[in-house]
Amino acid sequence: MHELRATIAIVRRHIDPRFGIDFGMQFGLAGAIGYIFAHLFGTLAVPVLVCGGLAAASAAERQHAAMLRRVSFFAMPLFGRQLARAHAIAPVLAACAIPLGYEAGAALRGAPLTLPSFTITVLATVVATLISLSSVFRDGLRAALYVGLAIGTVALIAAATALVPERATPIAFGIAVVVGFFALRAFGETLARYDPLPD
Amino acid sequence: MIVLRALGASFSRDGSEIVAPFDLHAASGETASLAQPTAYAASIAARLCAAIVKPSAGFVYVGDFETRLQPPQAKRLVGFVDAAGFAGDDHAFRCETAFRADVWGVDVRAAHARAEAVVAALGAGGRRDSAYVRAVALALATDVEALVLDQPTRRVADRVRAFAPNLAIVQTHVGVVAPPGRLATLEPAAT
Repeated sequence: MHELRATIAIVRRHIDPRFGIDFGMQFGLAGAIGYIFAHLFGTLAVPVLVCGGLAAASAAERQHAAMLRRVSFFAMPLFGRQLARAHAIAPVLAACAIPLGYEAGAALRGAPLTLPSFTITVLATVVATLISLSSVFRDGLRAALYVGLAIGTVALIAAATALVPERATPIAFGIAVVVGFFALRAFGETLARYDPLPD
Repeated sequence: MIVLRALGASFSRDGSEIVAPFDLHAASGETASLAQPTAYAASIAARLCAAIVKPSAGFVYVGDFETRLQPPQAKRLVGFVDAAGFAGDDHAFRCETAFRADVWGVDVRAAHARAEAVVAALGAGGRRDSAYVRAVALALATDVEALVLDQPTRRVADRVRAFAPNLAIVQTHVGVVAPPGRLATLEPAAT
């Protein structure tokens, strides 16, 4: 019960006006991409790559990283895994603005994604965010490695949609669940080992 | 009764020693003052004592909890005040107090009342003192038994001691480092 209260408190802490601005900007950017390019994308793989790539970059954004690195979070009596779950909720919610925006833009242009295609895009976005979150507590090449890993996973899902379109949804779901689970665990480990040093 | 102890605790990064091994002992009602050669080292030493940073060698105990093995249990008992203090406005201060109350699982109204009482009792000098006092209030809004002050001004440190006579307090400052094997300075509780 205490853990749930702490989780809700952390999620509420993340959902501030900046979160709303980020959500709106991501929705708008993805919407513009969807509106301008949706009818040119012949295959689902492209929107999956675009949305997943944007999500990976968004989760790794440096200002977001500075917020999560604040020492006050590390002074809280929580385990790394509890903190990881709480920290992951808001970025995942924010990342959902990307496929939603894309879908809105594509729908306005008369080329909306079908429900299974939209689901695959959301799954790719979520898993990209979860992997990319671990880059927040790293710098330089090691941070870029996690973003690369996120984009690689998204590319795997995109490849599944192109190569086996009839089974793309269960494959994407399987990749998202397995990789997402381990990404969240890795994020928890990262948080447990991270030492928030002064600037 | 709580005791905050450090036994040969040190911190290194990339092979260079930032905080040299130190011993420390602060029981309820006592203040241990820990000197470090630089402000950076003092901040890290404070984080070591507050279970926020893990020692590279040696041990830090908060009560019975070793900070490397049981950090959440240790952090529950310790309030940490960063050298920068809390620079947010009144609204941010109230939000932060409620946030901490939720995380620590204490009553939000009681936490607000406690935080306001700390601010009222400690008062505010200049802008830095004001930010620092607010950070102290946030740290004491929950039911902690020990307090780690990162480089407080003398005035604030004295007032905190007087306000919370039963807390075990560790305070860091920039100064001459105690020779190895010597405990950090102990000061009796203010009367």
